[in-house]
Amino acid sequence: MARIEVEPGSFAMVDYDAATIGAVAGRMADGLGVPSDEEIRIEVDESSPLARWSIASGGQGDEPIVLKVDGGAFEDTRRPRQFDERRTADVVGRLLLRVLDRRRADFAGAPAEEDLTLAQGVAWDVYAVGRLVRMGHDGQRQRRLYQFRNRHGFSDAADNAFEHIWNADRLTWPELDAISAEAAARPVLEPDG
Amino acid sequence: MRKIFPADLLARDERFLRQTQEARLADPRRRTSTPDNQTKLTPHARNAPDRARALMHGIFVGEVQALEGAGRTCFDFDVGSGPDDVPFEMKMDMARQCWDEARHCEISVKLSDHMGTELGEFVENTTLYEAACNRDPVLRLTGVNRALEGLAIDVFNTMREFGRMADDPVLEFCEDWMLADEVTHVKMGSDWLRRMTEGDRERLDRALEFQKVVDKVFSFNGFRGEDDDSPIQLTRRFREMAGFTPAEIDDIAEMSRESRDEVVTA
Repeated sequence: MARIEVEPGSFAMVDYDAATIGAVAGRMADGLGVPSDEEIRIEVDESSPLARWSIASGGQGDEPIVLKVDGGAFEDTRRPRQFDERRTADVVGRLLLRVLDRRRADFAGAPAEEDLTLAQGVAWDVYAVGRLVRMGHDGQRQRRLYQFRNRHGFSDAADNAFEHIWNADRLTWPELDAISAEAAARPVLEPDG
Repeated sequence: MRKIFPADLLARDERFLRQTQEARLADPRRRTSTPDNQTKLTPHARNAPDRARALMHGIFVGEVQALEGAGRTCFDFDVGSGPDDVPFEMKMDMARQCWDEARHCEISVKLSDHMGTELGEFVENTTLYEAACNRDPVLRLTGVNRALEGLAIDVFNTMREFGRMADDPVLEFCEDWMLADEVTHVKMGSDWLRRMTEGDRERLDRALEFQKVVDKVFSFNGFRGEDDDSPIQLTRRFREMAGFTPAEIDDIAEMSRESRDEVVTA
């Protein structure tokens, strides 16, 4: 199993356990085929109830894979300040799949994380979560469709594009980007932070 | 059957979990982070779809509690002219409101399906229902029909605008129809407040003071206001249609600004 490091090692504002987060991340890394000699560092900002996340490092060379997440991303929405294993698996799995995708030659043309449009980012999420669902994870399909529609339009074309991406197991970046671009029924929205 | 029904005995199945206002205020992260709902909800924000889902779920449980509150007001008071009584026609209006709120619950459930939200996915807070438990029916009119249903006008208008900007015809259409009902509910509150306090200035003042307290509680650190970046926009036009005077709307706007300033300077 890949070596998992969780920061902080203990939590004061939320009822999370670093070892449990590490175990969930380890299972996801194994299931997704992250090499066992890799190190994954997960930095949790427990002071934030928001659910933002970022990939600070994709783990090239000797660097570990570094995922930064707000504490709210791992939180049970029904029980504030409590840990949610399902959401954690969803976030970590989605980010690790994105890291692994970026290592493929056919994803070399993908923009840097901060340069992805909202539509591109959501299309990539759909591609990742669709694969996670086929591995047995809960993907909240309708929630993902709603997100996709918000970025590509509430139209049959957008729904067909979603189906294509959701059911795909091996897309290249040019293919994923083209499906997203063709589905968009209106000018692409740019993120405002 | 029991009158003045306590919030902790409201019927919910195992999908729903509650958080008390005390627990919400005790969350230490409130002191270190700006909550997600303190910035304007627009489709341009990265997390906009998930924020809209959470807000819609809040609307859904609000509709359930509004139904329960209006239902209690139908039942808790006898018909008559005494201080604890209400006119039969007011009960009829509350019954009509129950009908509307039940329909809003059904619409909200379908909107939750549309947005990919499970019922009970987010924690429930029963502060809205608690405001509907006052022993004076006139204070219920101000606390619920004017303060909370007034807030509902602002929330529905904001969600309708979000649906319009996102080109989501389902959300925009549903919010528009519910908004029309909320204007009616507030208007009923304004009309009955005037009729039931005619010649009783003290009762009217007490009721309006209670309305201010409820408005303050639901200001949520000034999240509802007239600034461009207010998460929930105070909706002057619909409030005027519902019987608010411009001075009353000014007061709410000022209260929101003060709440927001308190957060900024804290």
